[in-house]
Amino acid sequence: MNRGLNYIASFVGLILLQLLVFNNIQLSGYVNPYVYVMFILILPLNIPSWILLLISFMTGFVVDLFSGTFGVHTFATVMAGFARPWVLSLNVALEASDPGSSPSSHIGGRRWFMIYAMTVVLVHHLSLFYVEVFSFTGFFRTLLRVMFSTAVTTFFIFIFDLLRPRK
Amino acid sequence: MRSLLNFLLRFKTLILFLILEAVALVMISSSHNYHQYVTFGAARTVSGFFANKLENGRSYFRLKQINQQLVTENQILRRQIEEMRLLPQAEFVTVTDTLRGSGYSYLSATVINNSVNKQKNFITLDRGSRHGVTTGMGVASAEGIAGVIVGVSRNYSVAMSLLNTDFRLSASISRNDYFGSLAWDGKNYRFAQLSEIPHHVAVTPGDTLVSSGYSAIFPEGLVIGTLTGEQKKGGDFVTLQVELSADFKKLTNVYIISNLSRDERDTIEAEVVNE
Repeated sequence: MNRGLNYIASFVGLILLQLLVFNNIQLSGYVNPYVYVMFILILPLNIPSWILLLISFMTGFVVDLFSGTFGVHTFATVMAGFARPWVLSLNVALEASDPGSSPSSHIGGRRWFMIYAMTVVLVHHLSLFYVEVFSFTGFFRTLLRVMFSTAVTTFFIFIFDLLRPRK
Repeated sequence: MRSLLNFLLRFKTLILFLILEAVALVMISSSHNYHQYVTFGAARTVSGFFANKLENGRSYFRLKQINQQLVTENQILRRQIEEMRLLPQAEFVTVTDTLRGSGYSYLSATVINNSVNKQKNFITLDRGSRHGVTTGMGVASAEGIAGVIVGVSRNYSVAMSLLNTDFRLSASISRNDYFGSLAWDGKNYRFAQLSEIPHHVAVTPGDTLVSSGYSAIFPEGLVIGTLTGEQKKGGDFVTLQVELSADFKKLTNVYIISNLSRDERDTIEAEVVNE
C-alpha cells in the first residue's frame, strides 16, 4: 500500500516537474527533455505487461491533456511501455533481485541503469518527435533533435535516480 | 474457438499495444481540428492557472526588458502623434461614420504560456470570454504579429502561434505591395516563409513585410518581419525567407486585435462566394 502511494507521488511529481519546469526549457529548438518518461522506467520489475501498457497510455494522455498535443505523447509512451519489458529482459542479473522492486541503479548498477534508461527514452523520443512532425521531411533535423533530447533526458533521469531513497 | 481464445491470450500484450496505439493515432488525426482544442476547456483552466502563477514569477526577471519595449512603443506612438499634428489642419475633416465604426479595437494581454520548440506551437493568454475575446481574433506584440486566437475559455484564451505549421497569413511586401502567403516551415523560430511571390518581383534584403489586410483578422500594415533576401524557386513562384520581427521566445505583452466590422465583411464575402 505504501508503495502504491509512493508511485502516485512520483507520478504527480514527475508530471508537475515536466509541465512547470522542463516544458519551459527550449534550448535552440533542439533540446526538449521529457523527464516524465522516468515514471514508466521505475514501475516494479514484475508488473504485468498489459498493466504497464495501460499505465503508459494514461501517463501520455495526462501529459497530452495539459500540453494541448492530442495523442502525440500518448503514442510515444505506449511505445516506451511496450519496449520496456524487452529492454529489461536483456539483463539476466536482475532476476536475482526482489521481483517487486523498482528498476534503479541500486539494484542493477549505474552503467546498466544508464543504458536501460537511454534505450527506453530513445524509443519514446523517436516516436514522439517523428509523430509530432508527422512527416519525414527534415529527417536528419528531427533525428538530431531526438539525439540531443535523449541525451539530456537520460542525464536528468540518471540524476533523479541517484536522488531516490535507497531501500 | 478454444484455439482462437488461446491465440488472443498469448498475444494479449501485442493486441493491447496495437489497440492503444490506434487510439493514440485517432486522437492525433482528430486534433487537426482546432475546435477540439476548446472542448478540453476544463484541463486548460487548470494548466492555465499553473501557467499564470509561473508567469507571475518569471515576469519579474524580465521587467527591465519589458519596460524597454514599452518605452520604445510609446516613442513610436508619440512620433506618430507629432507627425499628425504637423499635417495641414484642412485634412483633419471629422466624418461621423456610424456604419464603419473605428475599425479595429485592441485589448492588452499577457502571455502566460508559450513555446517555440514544437511544430505546432500555441500561445496561452490571460484573457478569455469574460474580457470579450472570441476565436478568430488576431494577436500581435509591439514588434509584430504573433498569432490568431483559436480557443477561448472563461479566463484564458489560446492562440495558434505564427510558429505553427498550420498557420497561414496573407502578407504583402510594403515597398511594392506584392502579396503572398506567409507560413512557417517548422525549422527555425526566427524565420518564416513567404510563398506565391511571382518571379519578376525584385526583392531587396531588408524590405519590410506587413499584413495585407485581406484576412480581416489584422489591420493592414502591421509589421511581420523583414526579407532576408534568401529565396527558393519552385514552379511559377518563389518562396522568400522572412526574419520575424517579434522574438517569440521573449513574447510577454501582446494585444488582442478584434475587427469591429468583421461579421459584416464575412457575411458579404460568404454571400458572394456561395452564389
